[in-house]
Parts: sequence; C-alpha cells; structure tokens
Amino acid sequence: MIICVAVVGLQNNPLYIQSFTDGDDALKLHYIVHCSLDVIDERVNNPKKIGSTLNETYLGLLYPSENYKVYGYLTNTKVKFILVTTDEDLKDADVRSFFRQFHAAYVDAVSNPFHVPGKRITSRAFAERVSTIVRSFGTSTTI
Amino acid sequence: MAPLAPRSGDAVFANVERVNAELVTLTYGAIVRQLLTDFEEVEEVNKQLDQMGYNIGIRLIDEFLAKSNITRCVDFKETAEVIAKVGFKMFLGVTASVGNWDADGTECSLILEDNPLVDFVELPETCQGLYYCNVLCGVIRGALEMVSMKTEVRWVRDMLCGDDAYELKLKLLEQVPEEYPYKDDE
Amino acid sequence: MVREVSESCVDSVTMEMVAAYCGRFYANKQELAARRIEAIGYQVGLQLAERYTKERPRFADHLEAIKFICKDFWSELFKKQIDNLKTNHRGTFVLQDNRFRWLTRISLDSPLPTANGSPKESSTTSNDAKSAQAAGMHLYFPCGIIRGALTNLGVPCQVSAEVANLPACSFVIRIKG
Repeated sequence: MIICVAVVGLQNNPLYIQSFTDGDDALKLHYIVHCSLDVIDERVNNPKKIGSTLNETYLGLLYPSENYKVYGYLTNTKVKFILVTTDEDLKDADVRSFFRQFHAAYVDAVSNPFHVPGKRITSRAFAERVSTIVRSFGTSTTI
Repeated sequence: MAPLAPRSGDAVFANVERVNAELVTLTYGAIVRQLLTDFEEVEEVNKQLDQMGYNIGIRLIDEFLAKSNITRCVDFKETAEVIAKVGFKMFLGVTASVGNWDADGTECSLILEDNPLVDFVELPETCQGLYYCNVLCGVIRGALEMVSMKTEVRWVRDMLCGDDAYELKLKLLEQVPEEYPYKDDE
Repeated sequence: MVREVSESCVDSVTMEMVAAYCGRFYANKQELAARRIEAIGYQVGLQLAERYTKERPRFADHLEAIKFICKDFWSELFKKQIDNLKTNHRGTFVLQDNRFRWLTRISLDSPLPTANGSPKESSTTSNDAKSAQAAGMHLYFPCGIIRGALTNLGVPCQVSAEVANLPACSFVIRIKG
C-alpha cells in the first residue's frame, strides 16, 4: 500500500506531499522523505557506484527501512518524486508504471499558466489525479 | 466555371497545416498571465484579450473563406452554423453546437464542450471575473465584421468558473449592406 | 492521441501578441515590450522543456541539453531541426536555422502597424528595414522559449538572436557562470 507521495524541487523545497494513511504520522513521513533526498543526491552524484543505467529518471529503491520501502525518481528538470510504501514484494514494473503516470500528471500541473515555478502545487485536478494513480497502483501492470 | 463546393469542417482541418496544440495552449496561457501582471485589473485584461482577438479575426477571415470555399452565407443562421462547424474546426480542431435562437433569429448560443486553449488551465481565486478565452469573442466579432456583420459576442458560461460548458452569446447588431465603390448604373 | 490545431492559430496568436506589446501597450518603450515578450516565451520554454523531456533520461551535461534543443525540441516546434550548431568551447553556442518558420511569414508581410501607408507602397529598402525590425521584435519570443527551456534543464543562460538574411536566423546562447 502506498502511504505517501511527494514532489521535491530543485532546492530540496517541498512542492507537494500527500499521505494516504489515517494515522497521525505526518511528521514521520516528512522525515522519511527528507532522508531520501540525501540518498538521491548521493546516487545521482556517484552513478558508477550503483551500476544502474546512467541518468535514468527512475532511481529504483532508495532505501528500505523497518516498515517502509522508499522509491525515487528524478526528472530532467531536477525535480524529485518520492514514493513511500509498505508493500514487501513490489514489482519493479509496477513502480516504474506508477512514476510514469505520476510524471505525466506533474507535467500537466506545471503546464497551468497560473502555476508559479518552484512554488507548491495547489491544483485540485492534480491531487485528484494523484489519488486515482495511487488507487490503481499495482492493479494493472502495463509496460 | 462553377464555384467550388463549400468544404466540411473535417475536410478543411485535414487540409490545413497543423501543429501540436500544446504550443498554442501554453503560449496563450503565458500571454494571459502576462496581461494580468501588466494590467492588474481583470476587466482590462478581458478587454485586451477581446481586442487581440478582433485583430486576429479580421486577418483570419480571408484564410477561412479561401480554404473553406465559402462564398456567402444566406443569413445569420447559416453564418452561425458555419462558425460552429467549420470555423472552430478549421482553427482549433473542435466543433461547437448552435442553439438557443431568439424569436427573430438575431441571437444564438455557440456551445463548446472543450477547446485547446483551456487544457491544463485552473483559474486561481484571484482571477474571478476573468473570461479566460475572451480572445475567441474578439476573433468572431472581427471576422464577421469583415463580412459586413456587426455583432456582439460575450461569454455566458465558462467551465473554468465551474459551469458545465463553454457558451458564447452571439448577437447580430447590424448587417451592413454591401457597398460597391463604383456603381455601374447605366 | 495528440491534440492538434491549425498552424495559423499559433501564427496569429504570436503575431498579435508581438503587435499588441510593441504597437499598443508599450508603443514608446520598445525595450519594455521586448522584455515582456521574452518573459512570455520564457514561461512557455520552461513548460515545454518539462513536457518534451518526459520520457527521456537526464542530460549528462550542457552540450547534451543544447543538442536536445537543436534536434527534438526544435522538431516538435518547427518540424525541422536546427541546421547548424557552432560553439567557441567557452560557453557560447550559435544555433542557426536557415529557414526559421516564424520568420517565413514576416518577411512577406509585416504585421506591425506602420506609420505611413502600407509597406507595399514604400521603397524596397525601407521595406526590408521594416521587415528586419519587425523580425527582431518577433525573435524575442523564441529567444525566451530557448532560455526558459535551457534554464529548466539546468543550463542558465542568456539568449539573443541575429537576422542576416530573412528567413534565416541565428540564436546565440551564452551560458552563465
């Protein structure tokens, strides 16, 4: 189950964060998202250590913690997407598919002429679209 | 030589040079945002968008007539249909429907379900009263003026403001009779 | 399915935008008009960079980003690539388009309001001069687009344009920093 998604800007400024749990763990989720930014920076600056495909937007599993798995994605415009889940066995294809849809939603949101670059995404259409993507996560693997 | 038959909106659109809609969508959006910054007043921005549309309309009419093979519309009713089915299609790739005619046939509605100008657009609260697509009113007014019809065009419904469709009111104010500069009386 | 509009839509909107800013809003302050037109282009460039790089790996360096502008980006916008790319290897790049689409119409018919009569009545020389001036104003928009796109791709820069022989033109990119 996806419990949190986040969009983080160039200066590591939060652009969007939405959690999907009933619990009161906002602080913890913010902390997890924050920690994952360092992992992303590390990975992007030292790509050879990891051996993943160079400069691919999808960064894969950033780190597993006790209860969560955190995945990352970095766009060409240096915007980071973070996905926090509680699932144990995720198919890589599902995560990739999630990020692809999420990226498309993000691109449309920042195409709104009234969106201010670098500012938080306040679009209701974006929030709804994200919720839909999150709900359908893992149900249909399309490659 | 017999005049060429008028073309359908689909046929005309298929034959014009087409480009990705997002360029015009984003450009128009950036213009509206810049106008809001420059003029501050929403009313003034509506006026400028209408004016820009008017200037576009008076230029586009020639291309429209040439590519659609339309020579003359019988009356205002036919004119409205042509705008909705051929005009919108030829330039924006969408068609409108015509309805709500008044009794004397001088006022009607053009109803659009969507159009490429509004893709991705969400109006902020500070933009209340803005007719985002007001350029279209001006285009129609300008184009019709070049074929001797003085009209008034305004928005009555706007999905960006929560309405269920985009609706333009098109009112014929005056049909100027064609004037020929040189009369061949005898 | 990709949504399409007629090309004359794009032409009309951009030409009228330039005419409005140069001829009406800032008729006596051409520099301000130019800055506004560039700013409109900048926003469009930012957004287009976001859209057109959606399905591709990140660029490794500035050169890759500039090559992307010359090839894919230009093709999306103008259905052709930049014809020639030159660099001094010190942060300046010159992108030459031998037939820049947005200038092909302007060379035939200047949309800017002219003070005395139509351009057709004036002499060929002043006609050319007017075309060049009009072209100059129209180029602030694509300059803004390029600057916006490259800035968003992590290449902060200044962009200017030079017209030698309509409708050919060059865009000069100077990377900041």
